[in-house]
Amino acid sequence: MRLSLERRIQIGFGIAVAIILAVAAASLRSTAATVDSAIWVAHTLQARGELEATFADLIEAETGVRGYVITGDTTYLAPYQAARATLGTLVAGLRTLTADNPLQQRRLDSLETLVAARLERFRWTIETRRSGGAAAAGRAVVGDSGTEPMQLVRASVRGMEDEEERLLAQRSAALQARAREARLAAWTGALVAIALASLASVLVGREMAGRHGAEERLRLLVGSVRDYAIYMLDPTGRVASWNRGAQQIKGYVETEIVGQHFSRFYTPEDVAAGRPDATLRAAAATGRHEEENWRVRKDGSRFWADVVITAVRDDRGALVGFAKVTRDLTERRRTEQSLRASEERFRILAVTANDAILSADRQGNITYLNPGAERVFGYSAEEATGRPLTSLMPERFRDAHQAGLERYLATGEARVIGKTVELAGRRKDGTEFPLELSLASWTQGAEVAFTAIIRDITGRKQGEEQLRRYAAQLEAANQELEAFSYSVSHDLRAPLRSLDGFSQALLEDYGDRLDDTGRDFLQRVRAGSQRMARLIDDLLSLSSVTRSELQMDEVNLSVLAAAAVVDLQKSDPERHVTFAIAPDLVARADVGLMRIVLQNLLGNAWKFTGKRPGAHVEFGVTAHDGRRAYFVRDDGAGFDMAYADKLFGAFQRLHGTAEFPGSGIGLATVQRIIRRHGGQVWAEGAPDRGATFYFTL
Amino acid sequence: MHDRSILLVEDNPDDEALTRRALAKNNIQNEIIVARDGAEALDCLFGTGPHAGQAAAPELVLLDLKLPKVDGLEVLRRIRSHPRTRLLPVVILTSSREERDVVTGYGLGANSYIRKPVDFGQFVEAVRQLGLYWLILNEPPPKPDAA
Repeated sequence: MRLSLERRIQIGFGIAVAIILAVAAASLRSTAATVDSAIWVAHTLQARGELEATFADLIEAETGVRGYVITGDTTYLAPYQAARATLGTLVAGLRTLTADNPLQQRRLDSLETLVAARLERFRWTIETRRSGGAAAAGRAVVGDSGTEPMQLVRASVRGMEDEEERLLAQRSAALQARAREARLAAWTGALVAIALASLASVLVGREMAGRHGAEERLRLLVGSVRDYAIYMLDPTGRVASWNRGAQQIKGYVETEIVGQHFSRFYTPEDVAAGRPDATLRAAAATGRHEEENWRVRKDGSRFWADVVITAVRDDRGALVGFAKVTRDLTERRRTEQSLRASEERFRILAVTANDAILSADRQGNITYLNPGAERVFGYSAEEATGRPLTSLMPERFRDAHQAGLERYLATGEARVIGKTVELAGRRKDGTEFPLELSLASWTQGAEVAFTAIIRDITGRKQGEEQLRRYAAQLEAANQELEAFSYSVSHDLRAPLRSLDGFSQALLEDYGDRLDDTGRDFLQRVRAGSQRMARLIDDLLSLSSVTRSELQMDEVNLSVLAAAAVVDLQKSDPERHVTFAIAPDLVARADVGLMRIVLQNLLGNAWKFTGKRPGAHVEFGVTAHDGRRAYFVRDDGAGFDMAYADKLFGAFQRLHGTAEFPGSGIGLATVQRIIRRHGGQVWAEGAPDRGATFYFTL
Repeated sequence: MHDRSILLVEDNPDDEALTRRALAKNNIQNEIIVARDGAEALDCLFGTGPHAGQAAAPELVLLDLKLPKVDGLEVLRRIRSHPRTRLLPVVILTSSREERDVVTGYGLGANSYIRKPVDFGQFVEAVRQLGLYWLILNEPPPKPDAA
């Protein structure tokens, strides 16, 4: 567990204080010991001084006694009197000073005895002088082996002094050792304190630096986020911090928004409903509040926002404020909405489609089917969903389907996918029907899925069958017609040849036996035969126009018209008709059939201007309902528009054969040819005012 | 035998009579052998059936197309596929002017294709020109050995 900085500082300082106290205690103890040692040194020096003073007092007293003995002058007795007064005190002082040393006490005992003995001798000597005079006293002094007792005192003092000297040396050494210890302790304490202070300084500095760096990084991170507005609110909802994303999304800069209440981001409706405060209460109560809703930018525009508000509390749980993270989802919402709209469109498409639309997963199990599929197969969506696709096909196709599906999944080789194929389907009631299938595959995530659009083509199949039957019937009818035409062309003409040929033979061989009327009758038989032969030929050409295949090509109608005119002029070089042919009228048509059209129309014009000298015939083009209408115009006999609808019927004639010969088939042929080209043909005219025939292609 | 003869293949007696008349009117004196159907025409040419042993070697064949038993185009095909008659001039003389008959006829090696006109005058003229061309002007191929 990582301790908090505060705790670590507390512990660090505790340790430092303990160490410094320990060092101080050690130092104090060393100092006390030093003082103690110093006191002992001073004690020793005092004891020595008092020993010296005791011996000196004794010497002085002895010298004074001797002076008195010699002179009788009592003033010499002053040192003796002083020594008597002080020596007891000195010895008592020495006894106190050396109380700790039994050896010195014992020596002091003997010294005290010696001193007392000397003082007694001095008193006796003085007494002797006083009583015995100078001579007795002199003898007493001479008889006193004075130097020897003094030597004893001296030795005793010396012994004590030596002892004190020894003690002094010992105590001085001890004092010095103590002093060294005290210095050492003081230095050590100082160093430890410095080291601790340094260590603490480094540690705290590093911690502070780390903390500062982390804060700085966090500030930069939050500040640089552009896609999210990340900012703090104080507990009352006023903005406390702002980042770049917030500026970007909401449009406010930091200086203008900090301190403002965050309710200005809400729409007026939400503010009126009290949502901002409710939101804060919710966040404070639960710790976190998230919503998607409209928010307002500085410029008043709205955006769809994803908002997360988190209550921020300090260590003691007191509410410090709220952290708000807002994202602009307008674009995503728009995309989602258009996706939904698109989905809806396709759903409606699928629902309203008359065709069956199915989806299946990679196992080939149905995942969707539309109402069209329900109708076509007889299963409801609930029944069919999850079933294998194979249940919708006759058994004989199932293995091939399964193999195809597996091959596609394994190799991606598609034989049916992307194409429209005709197959058979199987309804719920077991009946089969022909269908047309379009299969598509796509990947949904990692999964392959299939969509099939299926059309029940029973009706079409029946229609096709019907059409085939009709086509066969038509073919048979055409063949019959052809055989009929052939037969007409061949067999109907043979009797005509007989009629004509034998009539001619009669005229040649037996003409002399007939009168003019008889010969005229035979001529009429021949004319009738030949007219019928022409009729047959015209009929055949009419039928061949209908039967032959159109060979479409670029056709120069002007050239065809000119060729037809040349033929007409050759047929009757005596006539003078002025032809005006527009040059290079090119159209896409069947050249053979267009030749027949122009031969017929120009032939008609030629024929019906037969009674007009200096006739004019024109071939040209004009516009009619936005199409090119070609026309052949003449200034001949014309016709009554009341009969215009009869012009193009087969065998319909508006003029007697005697007036204008003809079979009545020409315009019927023209109409058939024009209609086969997808065009129209019509005529305008008036009796004796000429006629104009128009045709389009 | 049958030197410079004409084989007329025609089932219609009227047409046969008119053709004979037209030939006569044009002073074409060649012998005219008539076959009434396709089978007879082939027997006649190849000396088979009733004509066994006496195959005709005509100068010219006038061939109608619509014939009983074997039709004219088949007769033509057989003529052209047999070495002895391979080069024999054959003129199709028929009522039909169906394009496919014309095309097939020429395709099978017909030398001419003439549609019989109804007008007898025109027919006589046609026969005249035909006779003039094929029997007088035209140099016939060398006669193959009689089978």
